Amino acid sequence: MDDLVTRSVCRLMVPFVQLYGAYLIFYGHLSPGGGFAGGAVVASSIILYALSFGRETAVLRVAPGISHLLESSGGLWYLLVGLCGIMLGGNFLANKAAGFYLGIPGQLFSSGIIFLLALGIGMKVSSTMVTLYYNLSAEVNDEDGHGI
Amino acid sequence: MEINPLVVVAIMILVAYTFFYTPGGQLRNLLVLFVLFIIGVTLVLAVSEMPLFGSVESPAYNYVVQRYITGTVPETGALNAIAAIITDYRAFDTLGEATVLFTAVAAALATLGAQQGKR
Repeated sequence: MDDLVTRSVCRLMVPFVQLYGAYLIFYGHLSPGGGFAGGAVVASSIILYALSFGRETAVLRVAPGISHLLESSGGLWYLLVGLCGIMLGGNFLANKAAGFYLGIPGQLFSSGIIFLLALGIGMKVSSTMVTLYYNLSAEVNDEDGHGI
Repeated sequence: MEINPLVVVAIMILVAYTFFYTPGGQLRNLLVLFVLFIIGVTLVLAVSEMPLFGSVESPAYNYVVQRYITGTVPETGALNAIAAIITDYRAFDTLGEATVLFTAVAAALATLGAQQGKR
């Protein structure tokens, strides 16, 4: 899609959408939001970029390989944090019982594994949506013979 | 505003009847109406067994709610009780959700990625 209006608006919007997604992920334990919502917002910004600038340009910014890597490492990070609970003497995915730093309620770096797990979930959800979009749009690209 | 479940089920039966109605086949239409009536009676009976919306006797209002409300801040250090439930009290359930996402991507790559390789 070669449209000046769409490109200009998306160029302005994408950084703010990504900032909002990062805010939702990082402040999920203090305000409404969390890993799932924030990851979806971050992914939608990348999909918006791919829709307005074309898949070929978006692949240069966020390569499918990076997306695959983030997807796998998000799940592994979740498991790793859970296994840390066992190593520190609690159950699987234990928070307070394993002695994670809870901090002062209301501060950004608080609440132990909730903050850490939100990072992993956000990484995983965003890269999952981007990977799915890349694969589905590649299929459309093949049949048409020209870019979306 | 109170919505009578009987009215809702009657409307559902009417809509379904117009969907399954075949002109000419009278016996078939009677059978369709009979089956829809039985389904509707079952639905009404199921709804009448459910607790009223917001009633204190609802099975959802047990000690777990009290524990979440009073225990979120001292036990997890988070202010958002929903985040505390999702990633602390029921973190194992969220691990399952992450696995669902992983399975979705694996299935999409297995079906679509194979086509890309041929190109």
